[in-house]
Amino acid sequence: MATFQRHRLTPWILLAPQLAIVAVFFFWPAAQAVLQAFYVEDPFGLGRTFVAFENFTRVLASAEYYRALGITVAFSIGVALGAMALALLLAVLADRVIKGAHAYKTLLIWPYAVAPAVAGVLWMFMLAPELGLVSAWLGALGIDWNHQLNGGQAMALVVMASVWKQMSYNFVFFLAGLQAIPRSLLEAAAIDGAGPWRRFWTITFPLLSPTSFFLLVMNSVYAFFETFGTIDATTAGGPGGATRTLVYKVFEDGFVGYDLGSSAAQSVLLMLLVGLLTLLQFRYLERKVQY
Amino acid sequence: MRYRRPGLDIASHAVLILALLAFCLPVWLAFTAATHDQASLYTSTAPLWFGDQGLGNFRSVLSEPVARLGTDVTRLLLNSTVMALGIACGKIIIAILAAYAIVFFRFPLRRLCFWLIFITLMLPVEVRIMPTYKIAADLNLLNSYAGLILPLIASATATFLFRQFYLTVPPELLEAARVDGAGPWRFLKDILLPLSKTNIAALFVIMFLYGWNQYLWPLLITTESDYMTIVVSLKRLLSSADNLVPWQAVMATALLAMLPPVAVIVLMQRYFVKGLVDAEK
Amino acid sequence: MATLSLDALRKTYPNGFTALHGIDLAIDDGELIVVVGPSGCGKSTLLRMLAGLESISDGELAIDGRRVNDLEPAERDIAMVFQNYALYPHMSVADNMGYALKNRGVPKAERRRKVEETARLIGLEDLLDRRPRQLSGGQRQRVAMGRAIVREPKVFLFDEPLSNLDAKLRVQMRIEIRRLQKRLGVTAVYVTHDQVEAMTLADRLVVMNGGHIEQVGTPMHLYERPASRFVAGFIGSPAMNFLDARRADGDLALPCGTRIATSHEVHNDAVCLGIRPEHLSRVSEADDTTLTTRVELVEPLGADTLAHVRLDGQEEPLVARLDGVQPVAEGDTLYLRPDASRLHLFDLDTGRRLDDKDIHSCPSSPSSRLA
Repeated sequence: MATFQRHRLTPWILLAPQLAIVAVFFFWPAAQAVLQAFYVEDPFGLGRTFVAFENFTRVLASAEYYRALGITVAFSIGVALGAMALALLLAVLADRVIKGAHAYKTLLIWPYAVAPAVAGVLWMFMLAPELGLVSAWLGALGIDWNHQLNGGQAMALVVMASVWKQMSYNFVFFLAGLQAIPRSLLEAAAIDGAGPWRRFWTITFPLLSPTSFFLLVMNSVYAFFETFGTIDATTAGGPGGATRTLVYKVFEDGFVGYDLGSSAAQSVLLMLLVGLLTLLQFRYLERKVQY
Repeated sequence: MRYRRPGLDIASHAVLILALLAFCLPVWLAFTAATHDQASLYTSTAPLWFGDQGLGNFRSVLSEPVARLGTDVTRLLLNSTVMALGIACGKIIIAILAAYAIVFFRFPLRRLCFWLIFITLMLPVEVRIMPTYKIAADLNLLNSYAGLILPLIASATATFLFRQFYLTVPPELLEAARVDGAGPWRFLKDILLPLSKTNIAALFVIMFLYGWNQYLWPLLITTESDYMTIVVSLKRLLSSADNLVPWQAVMATALLAMLPPVAVIVLMQRYFVKGLVDAEK
Repeated sequence: MATLSLDALRKTYPNGFTALHGIDLAIDDGELIVVVGPSGCGKSTLLRMLAGLESISDGELAIDGRRVNDLEPAERDIAMVFQNYALYPHMSVADNMGYALKNRGVPKAERRRKVEETARLIGLEDLLDRRPRQLSGGQRQRVAMGRAIVREPKVFLFDEPLSNLDAKLRVQMRIEIRRLQKRLGVTAVYVTHDQVEAMTLADRLVVMNGGHIEQVGTPMHLYERPASRFVAGFIGSPAMNFLDARRADGDLALPCGTRIATSHEVHNDAVCLGIRPEHLSRVSEADDTTLTTRVELVEPLGADTLAHVRLDGQEEPLVARLDGVQPVAEGDTLYLRPDASRLHLFDLDTGRRLDDKDIHSCPSSPSSRLA
């Protein structure tokens, strides 16, 4: 790569803003989080005591934490599978009709731009117990909908709102992936006597697997972090902690319960988890390079 | 050639159109609800057709201080716009400069700088929220635009994408520019930035959405309604301990909250799709 | 217009690899120097050091007697034509050509005038408003030339400028470059790996190998008196044939028994004998001064015929360039007589020419020989 060689100072001037921001708002807090995880702060914030791994053992011994972990996993699987299955179905249909594929893309892409919190509020209105339209339909089917009381329904609400928003992201990628599959492959399969159903499962689906894996990681990350707004605006972790995910619990313990040590320990555990997810993604990227 | 089956085509269109309608339903209902008054809303289930208020609810949330917020939605929109533009422009500017240094210069500690910047890709703000909040408080950034913007710029997604793009620029272009008497700043201004136009547009879309749709950080850092963003305000509007939820105002606000990002994505769809697909590489 | 002087130029990379081992060269005003050599010989590195795109590890580079080692490319008053042209894709042809002038602060009107003048000179006047991607390969090449010409530099540097063009266009542009360079009278250094291009363009040729200069001289001098086996094999097409030979009573004896009378005063017992394909002629009968060979492949080129032949006891096949269309076929026996007055003798170990103490035809400092 050609470079400017004689300029000693210029690169540092160029890097200065980024390095400063990253140092102050990333490394400092990240280090603080790690440090804090090994201390217990007294409730008045006057001093703190070093407790080694006590915060971690306390977190890892609490049933609440495992409940939140279970909820997070269930929520993530629900969002990822729901959003991906729906997106794949629609992308396959849009890809096969040719005429209008672009129009469908334009018409389906916009929910991606909607804030997670706004998505939550829109769905909350549709499912509002007294006057929601969909809750009324469900009532007619004999389902008594009230997500303010029923934990399972609260979970269903946040999953639906998240799927609604995330679907368009997946749709864009699946459609791009489908359009990248050489037509000749499908034509060869058709000549070999495979019908549309078989063509999809034996050719299209395997060729989409890199895209699917990438989206699985992206959807999990989305479900983990970005859905905080959806949850907080609609159920606030309730009822009775039924929608309290790991990230929501970090927030609650830190900003509502003022248990800073525990909140920090949970942050560190989350960082490890995200690190693992990122590693997975890098492994995948490496593999993709070999294709 | 594609072994067409007309029946299947019609079925495909039918499913797609059904899905489209289903996807639009939440927004449609929000729109119809926003044209009713509160009394008519609470007489039955949510209406599928417009009420008699016209755009009155929009006008009132935009101009009058909304209950429980102490400020009008115009102010909230302004705050959100400042935040989203600040994050988008801030990220793009520092990313252009940092990626430029990393790709086009050789200097000691270059590798270390590279890793220091790109490790931030791994940890979203939600994970280090407590200490970041404390630092923002220590730096006197609570209830300020700087506090809303700066901490969210601290991720290197944009830097990473610019680096990827710069690496595809033929090295001879830089050499030709040096022979033509262009120094680092002139090369950046005359050659590199004009070549990055599409990438800048794509990143602008993605970063604008990212900034506009932030929730947790603005929720923490703004306690005064003067700096609250419109996305965060919805929760305040909803949390009614004593009163009925004023759905017509909530829905009007929600629609106003989604209008700018949806407009950006629809108008700049081409760049957005390109930006997304590039981000995957 | 300028002279260039290279004094013991060295390039050592941070990883310890030495790309150039002390290059000495003096280039006259208005001269066109072609640097030629196989890939990896250091010719591109040398050019980039002249341009200021690579730093100089050791030695001195002077343009018009002024040391320029530490000057930025733009301050050296040089212009460079790149292999892939390196045109700025977002600028029009006129802006591409005028960019260096703009950076120098030349006023807009004057810039416009100079660009138009140059465009007329090289036939680009109708394309000034186009973008590079709207041009053909040959037109882009012309713009790259124009960009170099318009700033009236002291030195032109060419980095394999024709290698991206098709064969026919290459010949045409080669002639045009030569004509423009002479007409403008600008000193030029031209790097190529194509020895035909090198021979036809150069006032003087510099043959490089492994980071050293093998020989400097006019194309014909290099052709007639190559200083080393390497130069002999590199210059000329098809390449020179090499045979092992022994000294016997003032003659040269080949393993196959052929004896060749030679005027060379040779003191070595065993030498490497070089014979160009065009200096082998067909004779109808064998005697002890001819080579008896078997034809393996015939390449009729029209004006002449290349015969690839096998000589007993010789690993590599020989190539003979025979006049006109020859009635030879694969498997025929062919008697070839070397032109005794045009033989080249090289040392078996060092590869140096044996009869010639004057290796470099231009003055050179001892360091280049020691390096």
